[in-house]
Amino acid sequence: MSIKVYLVDDHRLFLSGVKAELDTDFRIVGTAYDVDTAIDEIRTLRPDVVLVDVHMPDGGGIAVVEGVAETNPDVKFLALSVSDQAEDVIAMIRAGARGYVTKTIEPNDLADAVRRIHAGDAVFSPRLAGFVLDAFAGAIPSDDDPELDQLTAREKDVLRLIARGFAYKQVARKLNISIKTVETHVSSVLRKLQLTNRHELARWASKRRIV
Amino acid sequence: MTTLSTPLGDSGETLIEVTLEGGHDSLVSTASVAGPFEPHRRRTDRVIAGVAGGIADTLGVRDGYVRAAFVTLLPVWGIGGIAYLLFWLVTYDKVDDRSREPVETSQAIGLAIAFAGLLFLLGAFGLWPNTVVVLTAAALSFGTAALTDPDSPGPFAALLSPGVEKVGKVRLVLGVILLAGGIIMFSNVVGRLFDLSVVFLAVILTGLGVFVAFGPWVRRLLTDLSAERGERIRQESRAEVAAHLHDSVLQTLALIQRTDDPQRMAMLARHQESELRDWLYGTAPLDGIDLVSTALKQAAAKVESDFQIPVDVVTVGDRAVDDRARALVAAASEAMVNAAKHSDADRMSLYLEVDDEAVQVYVTDQGKGFDPDTVPSDRKGISQSIRARMEKAGGEVVLDSAAGEGTEVMLKLAL
Repeated sequence: MSIKVYLVDDHRLFLSGVKAELDTDFRIVGTAYDVDTAIDEIRTLRPDVVLVDVHMPDGGGIAVVEGVAETNPDVKFLALSVSDQAEDVIAMIRAGARGYVTKTIEPNDLADAVRRIHAGDAVFSPRLAGFVLDAFAGAIPSDDDPELDQLTAREKDVLRLIARGFAYKQVARKLNISIKTVETHVSSVLRKLQLTNRHELARWASKRRIV
Repeated sequence: MTTLSTPLGDSGETLIEVTLEGGHDSLVSTASVAGPFEPHRRRTDRVIAGVAGGIADTLGVRDGYVRAAFVTLLPVWGIGGIAYLLFWLVTYDKVDDRSREPVETSQAIGLAIAFAGLLFLLGAFGLWPNTVVVLTAAALSFGTAALTDPDSPGPFAALLSPGVEKVGKVRLVLGVILLAGGIIMFSNVVGRLFDLSVVFLAVILTGLGVFVAFGPWVRRLLTDLSAERGERIRQESRAEVAAHLHDSVLQTLALIQRTDDPQRMAMLARHQESELRDWLYGTAPLDGIDLVSTALKQAAAKVESDFQIPVDVVTVGDRAVDDRARALVAAASEAMVNAAKHSDADRMSLYLEVDDEAVQVYVTDQGKGFDPDTVPSDRKGISQSIRARMEKAGGEVVLDSAAGEGTEVMLKLAL
């Protein structure tokens, strides 16, 4: 049973390109050019993984993720965007996306990312890994849950290697750990990113408007 | 009569309104017929010579009120009659009886107040032979005009009509109150016609009338001016965007269409993308301080365009460029050139991390790699040069590579 994928992008040309690339490996159950159609169809079609663009009219990718999360929390999202501005990236992850890749990603890497998301793992592009390291740098933990507000040394090691362009497999070998452990670290970082209430995170993301 | 002749003198401005109103006229024929909108005598629908009708058309008010004004001024030493004759002399019969678009209610009220002020001014200078006769003439003529107004059963109908905008209603009420106040005060001083306060009151009434009548027109003029300025600014910024897109994006797209080599195509697209991003989101250095991240991005962009290989740059933390950091950037540049020339990789990564203790740069490729112990001589020279630069700056270099495993050069400056 192949993975059911749904695509949301207001840029039709790009959407048809991605569809053609993923068509052989996955079952593309539907596509949408706007937020409302996307939310309705995802609720009825129940895809496994949704590839969603960040910048769209009427609330963008965040609106799709949040709209679907209420009714179908099991649908997983991978954000796909030309924007790699920190505030967009962080906002999508905070809304519930399990990964973020830029539209310049190679087709094979995109297919890998979809499989990984479907398996319940997180997908971090090098840029996202860099953002997370930057956002958690010099962390002063808040009182309520210090564990959520800081990355462990191992998590930082994993993120640094991802930021340097290594695939999960290479990261595992460099650190002498299994791929499964790498995935566990990344998922843990994702959870912290989504749940931490470090006020620095939002402030950092909004001031860092540089690409 | 100066007050009334002012609006008559300003004549040519209605050309466009009339042309639009004409609707069915072709542009050419309208242009040939429509001269300046001058005071004229009406040929149709006239009582004596069409003077009042012509003034009414020019001002955009009902002819009945203009006639009432002439009638009211008749008992004031015959001024009404003299004015009528003067107008008759200076105007001519109009061929096409076009009337101007009706003025706003507030403007009409303003005109009325101005007229009342003028009337009282004349009274204040002792030109009223008999107060009762003048006021009676005014009441009768204007009352008749109001009652025969085809638009409304009376002047106060405008107050009840939902079509009148709020400001217009307020103006109307204000105008009526002013007028009523003027009349009441005036009746208090009947018999003391030379009293200065009456002159003062009359002047104020006239001024207020003019203000109420022409205030909206002046304001619209100013609004139009600022709207025009806003539009010009918008057009300038649109032109600037167009010029930039033309110089950069359109040129690149043209280049891409003329290129057969897919790799070069991808490079052009990538280069354009980063250039456009810089322009859109502005990566200008903070307060003129050059940052290590910016310097590294520039170095990476140069390698990208020189060697047609994408460089993925990720930076964590930042600091200002000093002499040591300059050496680091130069070394990183050489490492990137090295990877571009020898790795056979289709892309490379540049990672910068700055924290309190050190600045670290990693240049990583997934290419063919090499055994550091048996470095080919051509690569040795460059790696020695990198090492020399870093050591001079008090930093260190760690080279990590194996045949088939890719290459990573780590440059580190302890702070």
